[in-house]
Amino acid sequence: MSGVWIFAENREQSLELLNIGGELASQIGTKLVNIILGDNGQAQDYIDYGADEVWLLPALGPDQTLLAYAPVIADEAKQEDPDIFLVAGTLRGKELAAIIASSLDTGLASDCTFLKLGADNKLEMERLIFGGAGIQKVVCSTRPQMATIPARTFEPAEMKAGREGIKRELPTPPLSPLKLLARQNRVRESGDIREAQAVVAVGRGIEKKEDIDMIRELADILGGEIGCTRPITEEKHWLPEDLCIGISALEVKPQLYIGIGVSGQIQHVAGFRDARIVCAINKDENAPIFEASDYGIVGDLYEVIPRLLAELKKSGRAN
Amino acid sequence: MINIVSCFKWVIDEAYVRATSSGQIDLESVDYKISDYDRNAIEEAVIIKEKYGGDVTAVTVGSPEASKSIKNALSRGPDRAYFINDTSFADLEPSQTAAILADVIGAQIKYDLIICGEGSSDLYARQIGPRLAHKLGIPCICFVQKLEIKDNQIIAERRVEAGIEIITVPMPALVTVLSDINSPRVPGLKDTLAASKKPVVNIGKQDLSGNYDPKLETRETRAASLKRSCVKFGSEAQDVSGFVQALLKAGAIR
Repeated sequence: MSGVWIFAENREQSLELLNIGGELASQIGTKLVNIILGDNGQAQDYIDYGADEVWLLPALGPDQTLLAYAPVIADEAKQEDPDIFLVAGTLRGKELAAIIASSLDTGLASDCTFLKLGADNKLEMERLIFGGAGIQKVVCSTRPQMATIPARTFEPAEMKAGREGIKRELPTPPLSPLKLLARQNRVRESGDIREAQAVVAVGRGIEKKEDIDMIRELADILGGEIGCTRPITEEKHWLPEDLCIGISALEVKPQLYIGIGVSGQIQHVAGFRDARIVCAINKDENAPIFEASDYGIVGDLYEVIPRLLAELKKSGRAN
Repeated sequence: MINIVSCFKWVIDEAYVRATSSGQIDLESVDYKISDYDRNAIEEAVIIKEKYGGDVTAVTVGSPEASKSIKNALSRGPDRAYFINDTSFADLEPSQTAAILADVIGAQIKYDLIICGEGSSDLYARQIGPRLAHKLGIPCICFVQKLEIKDNQIIAERRVEAGIEIITVPMPALVTVLSDINSPRVPGLKDTLAASKKPVVNIGKQDLSGNYDPKLETRETRAASLKRSCVKFGSEAQDVSGFVQALLKAGAIR
């Protein structure tokens, strides 16, 4: 038996994994299996986007967590022996993947940003290490070769007309001792910074909370969103933690990133490494952020920001 | 009386990692630290002990050079440490670390609650917690930002993309903690002195019988290239104007 398996807890990431998973499956010459949460009606959708087989996980009781599926998926993998198993790297996905990998006694490469079949047909998986300062390329010597994939690493698959596939229901998992008491869905105060075409990030160089207003004005003029470094959320509590950018927080890929009063610690810098243009405003000309920037202004942000706002307004960039 | 185990890792401080001119990772002048989130794990274990009564054992796996971490960890409040070390334990991949921890904790340490950081500062694979829990056959709750114990049950508030989940499970269980669960204390002189009197159990490879072969093999490591233009402007009005022109030219603003 063989196959490339994918699992994601949402449709968006399923489509991304169908794309890369489909590519790998055709290179190996095997089938693409998409394990999904949902009903039979949704299965055809994933077949249209490239799945050869869609396996449905039965709905869970209201007090069960995603982790309850681990034994069911692991049992299937023991029987079917897939070549590759890609799991969407949501936090719950990472937790689930680690438990499944442990059950199967196999290796798991976390948060892979690049996948390629090597000359020996092993899956070469690249991931960041040292807070983003380094890249590690690993292969897995056991089966299945497992990886978690962050959102937006791959383009979504394209729909293909007239595809047919197999639909199958997986068994109901045993009750997990973990009981979900409550779930509070996140309420976003602003737009999604992962979608923003411009991100203006606030760092420790900002002296007081009120000064963020002026940064917000800049973000508005640029048609973007505001983000920040970890100390702003964790020490100062000036902005909510879902605006924190970094390898251990949100990773953003805007057209333009501007760091204001941001020193440029690697953990934060890795969070915008895929931004198209990076700018920095900092009074310390030796701040590491300038090494990671395309354009920088060395100067006091309290002098520079008003000038920058005036310049943008003058050149008609104000929305 | 809760028996708490907190796991920690002695890691290269990523702030000292440089790139060589040929794009390799330069580890010539690095310093080491207790992994960031593991400091939160140790702190949370000590907070739980102070709040509910208990006992804290800190455990690490690493090369013999990681011995420097033991006193550092103990100065943060645990009662004792287990130092599992061998020259071959320097660059373990997550499945190996978890298997070694599970063998030692399972056989030698009494536990009701195991606390790990959500991930290590060097590899940040976020696998040790769930893998260790699975090997020990206990439930795990990852990414916890608030932890309480009531009637032998853990009540954990954890943060995932969709929002907050409040999950409960009877002990024994394992949790991994986020960095905002607490602010790790800064050990003082008294704590450092006290740390040197605390018991340390040394465990070598010869004391272990499991198979700890790696399942991931590293084929290559290299520095992450930033490839930025690094153009600097001054802060006067004409400089700021030049900066805006550059952004317009690059198509970064419309």
